[in-house]
Amino acid sequence: MRWSVIVFLVAAAASGATSRTSPSTTNNDDSCDIAVQPAATLLLPYFEVDFLSPPSSARTTLFTVQNVSPYPQIANVTLWTDYGYPAFSFPIFLTGYDVQGINLYDIFTRGMIAPGFPPTSGGTSFTTPVPLNPTPGSQPFGNAANPNFLADVPTACALLAGVIPPALLQDLQLLFVIGKGTGQSIPCTAAVGGTHVLAIGYATIDVVATCSAKNPSSSDYFAGTALFDNVLVGDYQEIVPRGDKSYAQGGPMVHIRAVPEGGAAGAVADSSLPYTFYDRYTAALPQRTADRRQPLPSVFAARYIAGGTGALNTSFKIWREGVATGICSSSVTNPNAPSRNSYMPIADAVRFDEHENATLYPLPIAISAALPTPGTNAAFSAPAISGFFPAISTSGDVGGWLYLNLNNGGSTAYSVGLTSGIARDFRTNTSTYIGVRQSQNWVIASMFAEPTYATEATVPALGNGCSPSPRAGAQVAPAANPTP
Amino acid sequence: MRTLATYALALLLATSALAGTFRAGSPSTTNNDDSCDIAVQPAATLLLPYFDVDFSSPQTKARTTLFTVQNVSALPQIAEVTLWTDYGYPALQFPIFLTGYDVQSINLYDVFARASIAPGPTPGGGTSVNTTVPVNPTPGTQPAPTNPNFLSDVGKVCTNLPGVFPTTLLRDLQQMFTVGVPADNQLGCPPPSSTIPPTSSTPVGGTHANAIGYITIDVVATCFPVKPMSKDYFANNLLYDNVLTGDYQIVNTGDKKYAQGGPMVHIRAVPEGGPAGASTLTNLPYTFYDRYTTAFFFNRAVDRRQPLPSTFAPRFIQGGPGGFNTSLRIWREGVLSGDATCSDYPKNSNMPVTEIVRFDEHENATVSSGCPTATCAPPLGTQTTLTIDTSSFLFPPLATSGDLAGWIFMNLSNGGSDAYSVGVVTGLARDFRTNTSTRTGLRQSQNWVITSMFADPTFATEATALALGNGCSTSPVRGAQIAPAANPTP
Repeated sequence: MRWSVIVFLVAAAASGATSRTSPSTTNNDDSCDIAVQPAATLLLPYFEVDFLSPPSSARTTLFTVQNVSPYPQIANVTLWTDYGYPAFSFPIFLTGYDVQGINLYDIFTRGMIAPGFPPTSGGTSFTTPVPLNPTPGSQPFGNAANPNFLADVPTACALLAGVIPPALLQDLQLLFVIGKGTGQSIPCTAAVGGTHVLAIGYATIDVVATCSAKNPSSSDYFAGTALFDNVLVGDYQEIVPRGDKSYAQGGPMVHIRAVPEGGAAGAVADSSLPYTFYDRYTAALPQRTADRRQPLPSVFAARYIAGGTGALNTSFKIWREGVATGICSSSVTNPNAPSRNSYMPIADAVRFDEHENATLYPLPIAISAALPTPGTNAAFSAPAISGFFPAISTSGDVGGWLYLNLNNGGSTAYSVGLTSGIARDFRTNTSTYIGVRQSQNWVIASMFAEPTYATEATVPALGNGCSPSPRAGAQVAPAANPTP
Repeated sequence: MRTLATYALALLLATSALAGTFRAGSPSTTNNDDSCDIAVQPAATLLLPYFDVDFSSPQTKARTTLFTVQNVSALPQIAEVTLWTDYGYPALQFPIFLTGYDVQSINLYDVFARASIAPGPTPGGGTSVNTTVPVNPTPGTQPAPTNPNFLSDVGKVCTNLPGVFPTTLLRDLQQMFTVGVPADNQLGCPPPSSTIPPTSSTPVGGTHANAIGYITIDVVATCFPVKPMSKDYFANNLLYDNVLTGDYQIVNTGDKKYAQGGPMVHIRAVPEGGPAGASTLTNLPYTFYDRYTTAFFFNRAVDRRQPLPSTFAPRFIQGGPGGFNTSLRIWREGVLSGDATCSDYPKNSNMPVTEIVRFDEHENATVSSGCPTATCAPPLGTQTTLTIDTSSFLFPPLATSGDLAGWIFMNLSNGGSDAYSVGVVTGLARDFRTNTSTRTGLRQSQNWVITSMFADPTFATEATALALGNGCSTSPVRGAQIAPAANPTP
């Protein structure tokens, strides 16, 4: 709603003339907007699992992946610690139109991936029979029919392991609750995650060309493993069993599309995306947008309610792009050590109550200052009234909303502004005031009231990942649309 | 945009010369507010696809639906709320005045049981242009006093908007949303005659114990009441600023206490901006309010609202030791235009569905009535909004595999309507994206699906169902290979 636009349109309306603005895209799979549509990568922004309690009382997170295409697909699941360390990856083979649920309690407690019948086995397989369906339109193609599969798929994806060896399970449990493993099975003993009672982290699920133990930080992941087909959909549920006060929350995962879609693993394609979701893992590639995944936004408008007669409360589940790639290192001087992803600043936050009174952080906000705001991990959950956010106003209102500019200030791991002196605006390639591009984020609002009222919703973003992030202190508003 | 795209193309072509280049077509838009994708971002219209209110029970036992509207801009805004019956009749409309950065919740139990809109601390409630704007600590957080797109009458007609409406209107509202006919004649369609015996009116909504319908919320330029979806509404009231966000909750306060909710459907104006009545072209092939723009022959896309998709892939689970069940909340575009008469509304009560296929966890497919070919009769019809269990007759049966879960392919296109902008005149049928002739003659219809899952005692979640394309994607013909919508460009 820029003034120039308004003036122009007023003039056009006054003259009775019809104005014309630049075209929008009308294509499917062709914008920076994150919609709930088939995607090439799914992000589960936050999970938590109580693997020490029995199933009847253990909080857990489930997610389900669907392949909505007739072609078989391979979904590569990576579990990341809350410092953004890729601790564990495993592939899921999906026949055409397949659906596969994963209960993270099975993984963290039972050492099982996709348990089957009997539950001591499990896993998925290239050899899964393909049914003969009643109509041509509902018929899945054969398990070798995906032309983008690598030649080793029949062997690499045959009888994928459903059981996690005990040593690996122990490392997995340790990495996700104290941030350090034994090194016996996952070769890392550095501090790569936070300390908490529950296993906490996030998950990514990519469509790939073969079954392997690789993850997005692997050197050849985007040159020879990741694919670009927007065919996966998924949702998640967080289950809280408390006897007769049990509840659940859930929603769709974040559907990150490849733009443009299609092509073989390693195919280089034009993309107008200014940067991509996996940007910080593409530094070794000739094309920094090699993954072609849509970027996520940085600015959100999260509604909250905290208190009142219903004892309502709100928490936010937040995913933040790390500043480090998350290699195995405890060194504070290593720019890619996961610990650097544990205190990322927040560019700006404003709390508005129901009477629009605004409260801010107590300290001046300046992205260049050292930790001007509370720093956070890459994946965390925090109550709306916690110290991560500005205080509640003195009006007495118990509801309102939070403006969250979660930009972390940038990183030398990012593609834009990588080298001093060539800092540029990531959309127009001109100089910019901050030098590096904004960081990517996602926010989910969880609301709860006793005894068992619980909902969860994706928080509105005030623009998409291609919208320039406002500087701290800028007018709070939806992102501008640069074209009209 | 063209400059950026050209630059990016040149840069990437130069880079990719080092490797085998896969040429993948035209650039995408990288603009905010500039695509057919429905994202959870500020919008000019919010759609609550389904609501359900038990206004007969005391509040401690009553099922209700709440929704909240936020204005995320500094400028004040007016949100026009329209309550539609499940046959798509716009029964009640009221404005909410939102100061900059305002947030306003509406509990539909207040509306349907208490005749109250936005009750506040003072009797009467309501919202007002006179609401005090605070002085905030920084310029960036300061709400603005005025909106240049407001009409000049806002200072008068938005003052102390009524928070309470008359009990006679309340009775009409309750009747309209539970049996489809009003008790009186205040909501536009006639009640049954007072003759003995009474002559019943044609219902404009279905019969159900709870009030059921859907809601749209538009950003508008004035609080002055005009006929919902009339020519006046689009010519003089509707605005195009993507500034509203919203969410909803359906709350069950009975023996099993649980809640379900999520974001409303955020429908953006493309392009955004301009005063009411601005004649701005859009490349959208058709729009959300398409069937109400018949008076705008040369600009049927006058509302500029993004269209909604037609094809979905909701997941289901039903049965098993956990007692799981799944319901789908479905919104469907009606077939009537804005000048429909009251007796026309039953046409929105039984709209056909193009195709439904159920897949189990082993990818076994079942189709309705055991129908094996694409030439069989399509599934049964539905009204414009409903919640329906995935075990219902509308859906194909479970496969014999024993699986209790899987997903459902739903092509909800209703077969078109003469009220739609594309194919309205015989001989002018055309593809809605390219303006060429088409196999179907009429454009697809718009729909939305939400998946609600529940298991005892009180495990309940709700999620937007996956659309297999956006509203600009061509809807597949019945029997076509099930797949995500094609991206025409690459």
